[in-house]
Amino acid sequence: MKQNKTFSYLMSLPTIIILAFLTVFPLGYTIYYSFTNFNMLKPKALKFIGLSNFEKILADPYFQQALLNTLKFMVLAVILETGIGLLVALLINSLSKGQKIFRTLLLLPVVLPPVTVALIWRIMLSNNYGIINKLLELVGIAPVSWLNDVRTAFYCILAIDVWQYMPFAFLLIYASLQSVPESQYEAAQIDGANAFHQFWYITIPNIMGGIVLVILLRSIDSIRLFDKVNILTRGGPANTTATITQYIYNYGVGNYRIGFSSAGAIVMTLIVLLISSLYVKRAFQRN
Amino acid sequence: MKKIVVVMIMLLSVILLTSAFAPASQEKLTIAARGGSHVDAMEAVKGEFETANNVKIEILGLESADLKQKIGLDSVNKTGQLDLIMIDDPWMPEFAESGVMANLTEMGYVEDEDFAAPSRAIGKDPYGEGDVYALPFSGNVMLFFYNKDLFDSKSLSVPADWKSVLEIAKQMKSDGKIGYVIRGQQGNPIVTDYLPILWSYGGNVFDADWNVTINTPEAKAALELYMELLANGVNYEKNDIVAAVSEGKAAMSLGWPSWYISGADAKAAYAPIPGKVDADAELHGSGMIGNWMMAVTANSHNKELALEFLKFVTSAENQKVEATFGGVPTRASVLTDPELTAKYPYLPTLLEATNNSVVRPRTPLWSNVETALGTELSSAISGVKTVDQALTDAAAAITAVMAE
Repeated sequence: MKQNKTFSYLMSLPTIIILAFLTVFPLGYTIYYSFTNFNMLKPKALKFIGLSNFEKILADPYFQQALLNTLKFMVLAVILETGIGLLVALLINSLSKGQKIFRTLLLLPVVLPPVTVALIWRIMLSNNYGIINKLLELVGIAPVSWLNDVRTAFYCILAIDVWQYMPFAFLLIYASLQSVPESQYEAAQIDGANAFHQFWYITIPNIMGGIVLVILLRSIDSIRLFDKVNILTRGGPANTTATITQYIYNYGVGNYRIGFSSAGAIVMTLIVLLISSLYVKRAFQRN
Repeated sequence: MKKIVVVMIMLLSVILLTSAFAPASQEKLTIAARGGSHVDAMEAVKGEFETANNVKIEILGLESADLKQKIGLDSVNKTGQLDLIMIDDPWMPEFAESGVMANLTEMGYVEDEDFAAPSRAIGKDPYGEGDVYALPFSGNVMLFFYNKDLFDSKSLSVPADWKSVLEIAKQMKSDGKIGYVIRGQQGNPIVTDYLPILWSYGGNVFDADWNVTINTPEAKAALELYMELLANGVNYEKNDIVAAVSEGKAAMSLGWPSWYISGADAKAAYAPIPGKVDADAELHGSGMIGNWMMAVTANSHNKELALEFLKFVTSAENQKVEATFGGVPTRASVLTDPELTAKYPYLPTLLEATNNSVVRPRTPLWSNVETALGTELSSAISGVKTVDQALTDAAAAITAVMAE
């Protein structure tokens, strides 16, 4: 028995070592640096400053706005991506022909790197030569400054994110739909259940695991929103699209302030942990 | 099995023999540069230096933020991977303070007065008076751009003050054109677009004692004028500005010379930025200097050779060649060279603008100052805050940055 235990520990050792190098050490360093004034260009001036970085971040109105923007973005993006993903999955699943081709076409945006997506949309949203404004001009509507207007910039970024990641939600929900036993629908039909009843009492409970997973993964990912904002708006106009990662980049990483950036990263990680733990807890309770 | 062993031995012998008779190992210099035309310009001339010095020159073309990160990361190594670095001029104080660059004066470099004086000043630490740490590689300075056809059609002359710019913008707007294009995106774009107007009003971000002066009457008046220009124009990003002014959709904007088609038949014409508010006002310097500097790294393994290449690539002879590959000269002799100015008529304007240029405040914290100011200027032009509130908040945020 003891030999078995030693063997299993030995077998786990490589994974533990790799994990320690890739996760535990960087995390430890990030926590350590978050309590210092570490500037990459001035390593000799490093000193312990306690909670000063955290105090500065939490008291900074720019950070508070970035936090609110991020949470607003996360809630709207997750609702829209999951909702539209569910509708599209139901539609594609109901098709008797062409499921494969639609599935493939729908997945194209999600395989593109966010930077490429941002650059493509920047061209399409251009005031001067963008196709969207050209189409508006054709129907007599004046060009809109999509990314420079406080009323539209945030929602443009949201729409681009939904366009890119809705297919991800679709894929997971579609996979769940495929595993719903047909016999349950047949039994419900015999019992006289209508289409809505079948959807609500059979489909939804069966695919709830997939939906919760989509919500969890998209929540974590949308909190880290950076590339699109950095390329399209740089957080503007008037900070309406600033996110936590953009804040950390602007005030920390971009200026070599590793101590300050680390504190920002810790705050963001805590928020992600808080949100994801709520989902995970619910998911485990369900199981 | 025996055959395999024999083949292996033969292969090993060939490898050993070829390495024994290989030419002596070649030196290598690595340059971290801003990608685009700067790299093209250096690539065009480096061959001669490589042959003469038996050295391989590798140029890494990077996006601005990546370049800054790479320089910072490499600077902490005992021996750096980078031998030469390109530096945007606002980064100079930060890199000088941190000892990233080698002291060229101590290495025996003698100052060359052919470089425009404001460009030379940027390369010194302390600014304008200390030892030389970097040489001006690319002579960017902000200019006033206007569409020549639109101006000719109305028989307009180039405005010499900002009130005239506004009047022309209003006139163009009434004719269905875009009067003036601002580059009002949050961050660096809006700050670089607004500062020349602020300087024309006699204002600045700091006074001589580093007190924040961004909420003075001059700053407010400048921001109000900027917003009035927007009311008679549009807010575009760089590519849209270039297209709109070049195609004649828009009449005027500020910009960097490297944005525009620089040939003789370009529709966008160039002039120094107006330096006064109205015809009777005091004249101030207003063209923002934005030279790309080049320095030898303090941790280069071959500083002497790197300095030789730096002198080579910024020589008058090579700047003339580089100009035909998109380079922007920094030497007076090149900017006034008859052969070159016949091809690129804007070069003397560039020299004039450089000689009357204004440098952004020389603080290592400029990036953070710019971020804070850019946020508040964006709030003002978006109507989220009043001019007063935005500049008051900007002053508070900049004061907090400078207190660090």
